[in-house]
Amino acid sequence: MAGNWADLSLIAAAGAVASGEVTSVDLLHACWANLDAVNPRVNAVIWQEREAAEAAARAADAAVRGKQALGPLHGVPMAHKDMYYQAGKLSTCGSALRKDFRPTVTATVIARLSAAGAYTFGGLNMAEFAQNPTGHNKTFGDCHNPWNLPYITGGSSSGSGASVAARFNYMALGSDTGGSIRLPAAACGVTGLKPTQTRVSRYGVMPLSFSHDNVGPLARSARDCARVLSVIAGHDPRDPTSAREPVPSYEAAMDGDLRGLRIGVPINFFLDGADGPVVAAMEAALAVLVTRGATVSRFELPLMDAIAAYGGIVSRVEAAPIHAEWMRSDPQAYGAHISGRMYPGYAIPAAYYVEALSRRGPVLRAFAAEVFAKVDVLVTPTIRTCLPTLAETDIDHGPPGTEHRFMAVSANTRPFNYLGLPAISVPCGFDPNGCPIGLQIAGRPFGEGRILQAAGAYQTDTDWHAAKPPILETVA
Amino acid sequence: MGAFETSVEATIARWFGIDPPNDPARRLASELAATIEAFERLRGTLAFEDEPSSFEAALQATKEGA
Repeated sequence: MAGNWADLSLIAAAGAVASGEVTSVDLLHACWANLDAVNPRVNAVIWQEREAAEAAARAADAAVRGKQALGPLHGVPMAHKDMYYQAGKLSTCGSALRKDFRPTVTATVIARLSAAGAYTFGGLNMAEFAQNPTGHNKTFGDCHNPWNLPYITGGSSSGSGASVAARFNYMALGSDTGGSIRLPAAACGVTGLKPTQTRVSRYGVMPLSFSHDNVGPLARSARDCARVLSVIAGHDPRDPTSAREPVPSYEAAMDGDLRGLRIGVPINFFLDGADGPVVAAMEAALAVLVTRGATVSRFELPLMDAIAAYGGIVSRVEAAPIHAEWMRSDPQAYGAHISGRMYPGYAIPAAYYVEALSRRGPVLRAFAAEVFAKVDVLVTPTIRTCLPTLAETDIDHGPPGTEHRFMAVSANTRPFNYLGLPAISVPCGFDPNGCPIGLQIAGRPFGEGRILQAAGAYQTDTDWHAAKPPILETVA
Repeated sequence: MGAFETSVEATIARWFGIDPPNDPARRLASELAATIEAFERLRGTLAFEDEPSSFEAALQATKEGA
């Protein structure tokens, strides 16, 4: 092929290895060429195990030469948010408090990706304990947006978004408790999928909020995300909360036909304070989806006050006991924005928390009954505003009030965590600062196929997802 | 510091043995007043649901194709 092997999509990379067009070692070296040139400025990768990765790549190539049965991700190098446990390997969770932590178990999702033929070469930067929407990190250094370095990457899966955008890897796992997959996907110009709550096992994954935590991919396209979801979704006996729902063939359903798809655009909440370029990009994206046969209706979403109030306390309360010992013994080990945001969680009454959880089911039922009677999917901006800079959202060093700019980043993603709905973010343009804009598509429970189909059709007709950060132009 | 903030800090110290680690913690704790107001506004708007596992049932009841 002409160009760089690291520019391939995940699916194309796996296909090229399987066909013998390229070796896994070549893919790895192409990714590392980008990493070596750009990571010192982006800071997406925080540790590497190159010898082990080289050995895995050589083994993958030997399997191809030996005509062995190959998995759907065979020979594809990956790196993940540094909170997916691999027995004996470093898993810092982005924190000084776990800078030497080596778990004794391997996450089910890692095991499933390995069984599909993928391997890892390192760990990715992230918000401390997956707790910010920006990419700030006191211990390992802030992650910088490869499209414009002073700007946020989004978080908490900051290194996942930045590394996929900068072509250090083909896919990275993120986790999403309030938007932590979709936000870095939007900010870094890649595609990120938060599955339905319970769709993917969380065994061996650092917990933040057991009611809201989700595991999912960030990749170059919706089709790549579909490939990964097919591998990682499904019940896991080691995670009793994982659903027994069958896993369909997500890729097969992505036929590009959107005739009959009913799109809803909320006129309340999601566009409050939205910036013009963001709204314009969303409207242009809707026009593309309409040309594929979709229809659009605009209406007020119900229950948004309840969703915001209840959803706003669940993760804060659930994080509190996990971190109580460290908050007593070593609170200064956290960034101020981490410990500062966790602190109020200790004062929220248990009765409020039980109310929020016990009403989650009824709220979902009422929301779904009203909304999904009218439409199949909802479309919103992933982030309402043009991206802020790291400095503008730096609670640790900024003036009082910085926290409001910081929290506004995740306003549009958090509601879908309380509702448990699947949602995907796809690139749909650039803001005046050259930073990507993300389009969020949310669907019914276990409706990942539907939102992937819509996202895939959009990416058939647009090439925002294929755009490459200018910083890579300097790589030989 | 107002009475509300003093009360919040005392509650956290008494129940968890945790002191405010920094100024952002104090500022964000003071914003719990807004959380209380948000819950107050919801009073009477929803019936109490006493089956805490119903969220998983709701996912099934409202899922694609159900």
